[in-house]
This record gives sequence, structure tokens and C-alpha cells, in this order.
Amino acid sequence: MTIRRILIANRGEIAVRVIRACREMGITSVAACSDADLHALPATLADRTVRIGPPPAAESYLSIGAIIDAARQSGADAIHPGYGFLSEDAAFAAACVDAGIVFIGPPAAVIERMGSKVAARRLAAEAGVPVVPGQAPEDQSDVSIAGAAKAIGLPVLIKPSEGGGGIGMKAVHDHRELPGAIAQARREAEAAFGDGTLYVERLIERPRHVEMQVFADDLGQVVHLFERECSLQRRHQKVIEESPSTALTPGLRGRMADAALAVARAAGYRNAGTVEFLVAGHGDAAEFYFLEMNTRLQVEHPVTELVTGLDLVRAQILVAAGAPLPWRQDAILQRGHAIEARVYAEDPDSHDLPQAGRLLLYREPVHPGVRVDAGVIEGSDVTVHYDPLLAKLIGWGETRDIARARTIAALEQFAILGVRTNVGFLIDLLADERFASGEIDTGFIARKREASGAPAASVVPPEVLAVAAASRTHGSVGAGTGNRRPGTVGGGEPDPWTTLRGTRV
Amino acid sequence: MSSEAEPLTSESPEALVVRPLGDRRYLVTLADGTQRVALAARGAGGTWVFLRGRTFFIPDAGASPARSAAARDDGAALAAPMPATVVAVNVEPGASVSHGDVLVVLEAMKMELPIKAPRDGRIRRILCRAGELVQPGSPLLELD
Repeated sequence: MTIRRILIANRGEIAVRVIRACREMGITSVAACSDADLHALPATLADRTVRIGPPPAAESYLSIGAIIDAARQSGADAIHPGYGFLSEDAAFAAACVDAGIVFIGPPAAVIERMGSKVAARRLAAEAGVPVVPGQAPEDQSDVSIAGAAKAIGLPVLIKPSEGGGGIGMKAVHDHRELPGAIAQARREAEAAFGDGTLYVERLIERPRHVEMQVFADDLGQVVHLFERECSLQRRHQKVIEESPSTALTPGLRGRMADAALAVARAAGYRNAGTVEFLVAGHGDAAEFYFLEMNTRLQVEHPVTELVTGLDLVRAQILVAAGAPLPWRQDAILQRGHAIEARVYAEDPDSHDLPQAGRLLLYREPVHPGVRVDAGVIEGSDVTVHYDPLLAKLIGWGETRDIARARTIAALEQFAILGVRTNVGFLIDLLADERFASGEIDTGFIARKREASGAPAASVVPPEVLAVAAASRTHGSVGAGTGNRRPGTVGGGEPDPWTTLRGTRV
Repeated sequence: MSSEAEPLTSESPEALVVRPLGDRRYLVTLADGTQRVALAARGAGGTWVFLRGRTFFIPDAGASPARSAAARDDGAALAAPMPATVVAVNVEPGASVSHGDVLVVLEAMKMELPIKAPRDGRIRRILCRAGELVQPGSPLLELD
């Protein structure tokens, strides 16, 4: 079949990414937008925009009825779910099929099977892939959960059986912490996923989080596109991702790729998917454990696109339309190194609190080997309704050091004003000597923060005060979307600041 | 030159040149000749400046204290740092608390945010209740 019109059931940078793929392929793009996003970047880039409901996600991006209605209303023959929201909702995938609309992703039955951590683990174990010891007790009482934790052996990780993104995950090292952790995990699980079922597993100390990208078509071809290292996380949220992983030797990479393909085949997988592993130890002797499978496109897919030179979103659309995979395994190569830094509207000095406000100034860097996937432009409003991811900056180079240097240099030019962002924090992480040496694990950020202590009262350099003073005198007040006083660029208007050149201030 | 720039003359005796390039870009030349491009935008109550990956907010002279001051306030009143829902209030008026005790749990964007006691003390008043939506700067409780 042919896909002619795609409804994008998402927002922000991933909606923009899909719109761009549609444009290249001659497919009409339809942006599904909540009331909060009617003037956001995807709504202005797409060929069409359709309103799906009020700002709360439950009434818009998470509403199966609203999305299906929007697809029907706009005449879409396919839906791209992006990541998050309904992307891993089996009921949504089934509702698309029922409505005669192509769901760009795996079949509902596969999403359901892999969406349950318990079922996915069993499937992986049966496929001969190692798993982390753990269980979801039938009896979900606090006492029973605590009993399971003791049976598995501390330290353990208590997490919602449904869901992901680190929400509700609690590490417990001491049995006295168990009751509080169980109560908090259950509250967060119920609030986020409407299901308080908890899963308890052995906590692997200082693990690395390495995932394999897989892709499968309707004709039985299953390929992998190598790994992504996602160990740099804060509170289980990824911040920096890269490929290749410095943890993998060629031998280990081969074994993990085989394991990922075995999981995908056992699951009857279709379209783009990611098999997540924990890696413990070093070299060929390192051990890896199946963690879970994400049945969607990942936030960090550009890292894979840059090292393989392949377009994952385009392939998703082709495969969803029933076409064969556009690549054979032996033609998929990993070349050079790519690093992604996630730029969030959040304050790293204040518990990473999400920030809201208008982007008074927004300038993406231009730099060799650097790609920026953004969901905002100058003048965009960052609201409290959704994830505060503004953009992803991905640097590619022949070596890890070159990729790292490019990513840092580009971040230093990524000017975003109006809300606080984590750009400075990302630069600090990438410039860290231990990161440079490749010695990272999932506790890296927490330890780095602990070592540096409470954020010092920021010292404002004199040149910054001077620029602020110049802006007060010279700049336009209440600047919004790139407006500036006429005459400041190449104009004939006398300029007090140019005449002050050489003056001591 | 406006009075806000006064600290410059006292704090940086060396020559520092700032030249507007237009489009809210400024060329900064340090005393040793090093050049950097900074960007600046006027916002509510102050000026945002970007320089080499770092963002600064310089409040206008006489402006009210920045919102972040309320969030980090270790004085009597503890305030919500962001729009959030109160999930739990763990203390009662008159209770003695120790530094680091979790007094109130907020939730925003599906993440729980514990509000901890900034010091030892006694709860004077509770100013929020579970289920309530609070705004940045909303007082949550007071410590004696």
C-alpha cells in the first residue's frame, strides 16, 4: 500500500523530525496539536494542523479517541506516534487498525507482549538472553513486595511494572528504606500509569546502560544498527547518549547484537525497536543483561543515524507501508562517533526543576558535523504541561574525542535566553576528564554532583555585566520574536555604543 | 551610561570593550585582546545574557528578588519552586523537625519533589494541603 498522509500524534522536536521526513517523501503531514501547541513549531511546519483537545496530555496527546477522530477528520491514512505519549500503547495501535489507519510501529500484540516487563523478561530468557534476577509478586501488598526484595537480595530496584522513563523507580540499599520506597514507588506508578503494580529486581551496581537498535519488516528480515550508550542519566532520565559505546569490545558487541536479534525474532517484531541491556564489567568478559524492549523510535535515534548514515524515520514509514527494509545487514556499518546532548528547559542548580517561559532569543549553532533537532524557535512558549526537552544537539566526528570537542564547541554557541537551560551543565559533563576517558556508568552524574557539592552562588563575570549594561542602554526592550530596533544592523542611525569603542567601562 | 553599570568601574579596572553587532549580538573584547560574542535579551525585570554556553540573568536595579530566591529561601517560609500538586504533607503544626526531613511532597511532570527542612526547627504553620495546586513562590509552611 501507499501512505499519502500522516497524522503526527506527538509534539516538540519529534513531531518536527517526522514532518521533515514526510516532506522528503512527498507525504502530506498533519500536526495533531493540543490548545497549548496551536502556535508551536510543528503546527507551523506541517502541511495541516488539527486541534485535538485542551493542554493536559490526558485530554489530548494521550486521548485515543481524540487522536483517531483527528486522523479521520484530516483524512490521514497513517499515524506516527513519535515516542512517549501513545507510542507504546497497544490499545492505541489496535484502535488505529480498527479505524483502517496504519500505525507506524509494531503490531498491537507485540507492543502488549513487550510492554509488560514480566512477559518481556520471560520471552528474553526463553530466547537464551540473560536477564537481571527479579520478580513482580502476585501478592502486591507492601509486606509481600518487601519480602520479594529480601528474597532477591539487597540492593534492589523497585519500579512500576508498567511504564518507563525512570518514573517511580527507587533504589533500596537498606531494608529500613523499604517501606518508604514501596509507598513512594506505588504513588508515582499510580499517578503516572494508573497502575500501582510494582516490580522488584536486583540492583546492578555501577552498570552501563547500552541498547541495541533493531529493525524488522513484514517479510521476515530483522537487522540491528549497532548500539547506543545511554549511561549518562540523572534520576534515570538520559542526558547524553553516544555510539559506539566505549564499554563494548568487538566480541561483546557481536554477542549483544545477536541477543537483540534473538529477542526481536522471538517477539515477532516489526518496525523500529530498541533492546536495552545493562552491562557490568569490562572487556570481552563483561556481562550483559536484558532490561526491556522499547517498541518505538527512541529520543536518541539521531546518534544511530549519524554513525550509520541511515534514516530511521524514513525506514519506519516504508516498513509500515509493507515495503521491505531498505538495508541489508552486511551493508549497515558503524562509522565514526556520535554524541547527543539533550537540551532541557530546566535549572540544573535547583533540582533540575522544569522552567517555563518565552524563548526571548534562540540561536542554533552552525558547526561542522553538528545536527540540531529542535521543537522550538525564537518566540516559542515553553509550558509546564509537557516534558521540557527543547532540542537535541548531536555532534559527529571520526573519533570520540573529535565528536566530543565538536559537541562542546557547538553547545557553547547554542544561545537560548528567556528560560534557564541545562546547556552549561551539558558542557561540564562532556568536558569532565572521566567522561573523556570513557569511564562512565549510570551513577556518573549523581557522583559528580555530590563531589561538587551544593551549587555555589553564581559569580557573574564583569564582561557579562557589561553586556547587560550595553543591552539595557542599546537593546530593544521586551524583545520577543527576533524583533530589533531598526537601524542597529548596517543602519545609518548614530549608535552610542559604536562611538564608545575603546572607552573604559 | 546608566547607573546599573557602576560595579564595573570598581570591579574591573582593566579595559573591557563591548560593541553591539546588531541583532542582539555583542562583541566583547577583554583586556588581553580575547574576543567573544555574547547575546543579550531584555526580559521581565532584567536582562538575560549568553556567553560561551553559560546563561545569566541580571536583575534590573530595584527589581524584586528573583523567583529562585523564593525557592531557595532558607528563612521562615518554605515556598513551592514551581507549579506543582501537593501530594503529601508529612508534618503537623508544632512538630519538631530536623534538617533534611521531608516536610511536603510535591509532584509535577510525573516526578515527585520532596521539600526538605533547610534546618532544625519547629513547624509554625501549614499553608498548603494535599491535592492543592500551588504556584511558584506559594508558601507551603512556616518554620519557627
